[in-house]
Amino acid sequence: MARVVSLRQKHKQRWGKLFILPAILVIFLFVVYPIVYTLILSFSEYNFVFDPAPNIVGFRNYTSMFKDKLFLQALSNTLVFSAFQFAAMMVFALLLALMLFFVRGRSWLFRTSIFMPIVVPASLVCLLFTWMLANNFGIVNRFLIDTLGMPRLASNWLTTERTAQGSVIVVSLWNKVGFCTILFLSGLQGISQDVLEAGDIDGATGIKKLRYIILPNLAETYVVAGIWAILQTLKLFVTPMVLTKGGPANTTQVLYMYIYKTAFLSFDMGYAAAMSFVLSIIVMAFALLNMRLNTRKD
Amino acid sequence: MQIKLRKRDITSALLLLGLLLISLLFIIPIAYCVFTSFKTTTEILQEVTFFPRRLTLENYAYVFDRGAKYINYYWNTIVITLSSVAATVFMAALAGYAFAKLPFHGSNKILAGILFVLAFPLTAMLIPIYMMESNLGIINTHLGLTLPNIITILPFSIFIMRGAFRGLPQELEDSADIDGCGVARTWWSIMLPLAQNALVIVLVSGFYNVWGEYTIAKTLATRENVMPISVALTLLKGEDWNYGVLSSAITLSIIPPIVVFAAFQGQLVEGMVAGSIKG
Repeated sequence: MARVVSLRQKHKQRWGKLFILPAILVIFLFVVYPIVYTLILSFSEYNFVFDPAPNIVGFRNYTSMFKDKLFLQALSNTLVFSAFQFAAMMVFALLLALMLFFVRGRSWLFRTSIFMPIVVPASLVCLLFTWMLANNFGIVNRFLIDTLGMPRLASNWLTTERTAQGSVIVVSLWNKVGFCTILFLSGLQGISQDVLEAGDIDGATGIKKLRYIILPNLAETYVVAGIWAILQTLKLFVTPMVLTKGGPANTTQVLYMYIYKTAFLSFDMGYAAAMSFVLSIIVMAFALLNMRLNTRKD
Repeated sequence: MQIKLRKRDITSALLLLGLLLISLLFIIPIAYCVFTSFKTTTEILQEVTFFPRRLTLENYAYVFDRGAKYINYYWNTIVITLSSVAATVFMAALAGYAFAKLPFHGSNKILAGILFVLAFPLTAMLIPIYMMESNLGIINTHLGLTLPNIITILPFSIFIMRGAFRGLPQELEDSADIDGCGVARTWWSIMLPLAQNALVIVLVSGFYNVWGEYTIAKTLATRENVMPISVALTLLKGEDWNYGVLSSAITLSIIPPIVVFAAFQGQLVEGMVAGSIKG
């Protein structure tokens, strides 16, 4: 009997390998192989249009990065944008989730409108915002000048440095915060009723209940939402690309965008590969840091 | 007691008001786009109102009549989306089942590996993909755009399907074994129908992810005739850069994902949480 079982087990294992084959094949060809190739490219000089083959140059791409002003600016933009966007994302998402969690009655309308931007194509959203924020006939300026009567608040949103940077952050947030809210909302729904009721018996109400019972119980959600937000913010690309095209004067050019331009407009594949590895390392470092910070508490 | 009750009422009224205002912030840009698509050009540029005064269909007429290229953009988006999602659903349903019910030596390590590579930003893969596709001559083709889109949604889909199959009772499989039902038939006619909910999640979330995908298309579609709507509209210039026409084209392309999302909201929200670390 045992032999029969093990034969069947073997048979099943063979089928298991067959079943994952298509997925593994695609992942290998379009994920694993490209990542390895990028690593090799990052140590080479290779202009895709002019050079016949990559030419190994050692760490030169990595060292020249730190003399490249555009790279340094893009790197600092990426880090600054990410910091602001990450903080805003976590705070707003948590706040929205708490509001949706505590509101009485059916919240279908609220949920749908807050979650809806997630499914709308981001590039088209940015396109829409480019003319809502336009100087002369943009509805935002019209609203500030004609409806509120405060022309001083109106601005040339997308061509002034500060407001262009702010617009990139706000529009990305508008587009993405819904997903983070879903994560927090499910975290809230995952807190067991017993825990909440025990708090009621102890007399914890309102702010106290929030501070001592609800927020500490979201530890797991902070990790998941945090990693998601880090990935999203460091990989910011669509918003600056469509909304501001990196301008004015490269003040909204992020690393991802600089890599895109280096690789596909200048075809300097080696240098672009090295920069994408630096970006990958930054992403992983922050993801790990986030995991550490949030699990140490227990 | 009475005071306490009143305080509670005020809090919940404030909560409602706050949510209402926030919801408006999310709806207004989309509503503005839809309204603008029904306005005349003079109204858009000179009057700058939120609601349309005189409804007109001229913008939509333009998109359908003179804009053969707009139809072509939609066609590209539809072809790329449908083929990526169909391929992904098929591969994820197979792989998810294998990881859940047909484990073999090392299968867990492969699964962890799939999770790990997810952390890499797309740019780290796009450079070689671009070169590879360029050498194979499939750059600027639907196939060349479909294949990389699959990998952006496949890992998440595998995790969703794996979770669904793991939730199915072992007895089902055992009784299928006893009945002499082969692995492939057990998967297709017993397990797959029971994992319907997960299939819907994979289908729908894959649909709107590919539908609005920008980065891959921006990189691998350099000719206008294969560009999906998400890239093509951002490149319009001159005569076509007309807010009325643009907003009707945008409206037409945001309606499908919104309708699909509204229909499956409950299921989707759960599913997105289950496989939230993606992309």
